[in-house]
Amino acid sequence: MSVTEIQPVDPREFDSPEFQRNPFPIYQRLRDNQPVYHDRFHNRWVLTRYEDIDGAFQDNEGFDRAVYDPEGDYQFGSKHVFGPNILEYGNGERHRWLRNIVANQFVGKGLTEFIPVIEQIADELIERVSGDGEIELVDAISTQFPIRVISNMLGLPREDEDRFVGWYQALIAGLGFGGDHLARGLAARNEMWEYLEPIIEARRSRPEDDLLSRIVDAELDGQRMSTDEIKGFIALLLAAGGDTTDKAIANMWYHMLYTRPDQFEEVKADPTLWDDVFGEMMRYDAVVHIQTRYTTREVTLHGQVIPERALVRLYLGAGNRDGRVFTDPDTFDIHRSDMHMGRENRSGRYRSELPGHLGFGIGRHFCMGYIMARQEAVIASARLAEMMGNARPKFAEHEGITSPSVDSGGFRTPAELWIEWD
Amino acid sequence: MRLMIDLDECIMAGECTYNHPEVFAWNDDDQPVVLQPQVTSDQEQTMAVQAQAVCPSGAIRLVS
Repeated sequence: MSVTEIQPVDPREFDSPEFQRNPFPIYQRLRDNQPVYHDRFHNRWVLTRYEDIDGAFQDNEGFDRAVYDPEGDYQFGSKHVFGPNILEYGNGERHRWLRNIVANQFVGKGLTEFIPVIEQIADELIERVSGDGEIELVDAISTQFPIRVISNMLGLPREDEDRFVGWYQALIAGLGFGGDHLARGLAARNEMWEYLEPIIEARRSRPEDDLLSRIVDAELDGQRMSTDEIKGFIALLLAAGGDTTDKAIANMWYHMLYTRPDQFEEVKADPTLWDDVFGEMMRYDAVVHIQTRYTTREVTLHGQVIPERALVRLYLGAGNRDGRVFTDPDTFDIHRSDMHMGRENRSGRYRSELPGHLGFGIGRHFCMGYIMARQEAVIASARLAEMMGNARPKFAEHEGITSPSVDSGGFRTPAELWIEWD
Repeated sequence: MRLMIDLDECIMAGECTYNHPEVFAWNDDDQPVVLQPQVTSDQEQTMAVQAQAVCPSGAIRLVS
């Protein structure tokens, strides 16, 4: 028997088609052999172990979300598809203020009051396809549903929903790919901004009972958001509130149809289990695999020194499969007893003392829509499965969950998912 | 008005301590505590209502 040689990761592997298709073998090599990986080719550092990623999320003194410049202000990504937005405001006061304007709409009473709207939108979409006997889930349901929900919550006219779906799809493509897609994404953004401007002005003079009015009206130290900031905020809510949830739904269904058809039978019999499908999907193959941080000082980890102002990539997708934390990490199991399966906590800590998945991040930049995303995914999935009765894959083979560019921030999801029923 | 946390209801979500660190903090036993329970100004009132609204377990109380 020969001893397997440890093969160091070559940074070009991150750009390879194999990595886009299946990043998990590389994640494992990094976790086991190079837990603090200095990628000199892309000029960044990479963390892949659960406890190191958790540690970076919890350490706001050492890691910042925005590009850190000790000499001056945060540098905004002016070419960003969304425009200036909440994701770029780092760890400071302004980030918290922006967040608090909208946060309570996505949890608690604000969300409870909105649930009937979510249910109605799900039913409308399901009704459209109920006589078909087969659907392609991504096109017919998952890319449609969350964007309609968020545009409704913002208070945008329902008759313009289809236009928003179109702009959204172009924005998202611009985000995940480059070249022509980026150009089309920016064009869609500009078109959307032009459309939004009179609506924003109208809410300024005549506020209504919707999220857009609250964004327009919010003040920090007597100052309101600029029109550009508002537009960036809306673009971000449409995309962040839409894209991730859309792909989460597709990933849940993929794993039920292809990875665990046995557990799918249980879920069909007991729709409350969709909550656990969501939790395990967020661990096993969350939509977002990477979060980026910048060090604000020297950080020493596993004997290695990461310098100040370094870009550090936290591979959530790798931490979630860390065998140091989860038993049989490469098995998809909705009955997992070694993970907190219910609703996530921003703190990443639970009374049960079980670890949670990393899929929403942890700490200051924890996903603001964590409860809403789960509710949307569970409501739509349970209703769709009930309508179908005996949902099953249309094709025996599937190319699997992939990403055109997980490494440039792309999200992992199946390109298509055909389902049939009687 | 006074801000209080019902520790029996608290699930350690961390929404209050992350969003309003000037008012809430973790103690050494991993329990949230109210650093500044008195709510007097309008600004404090707004903050207290926000903190209550995003607490996922409904553990934050505003009592007169």
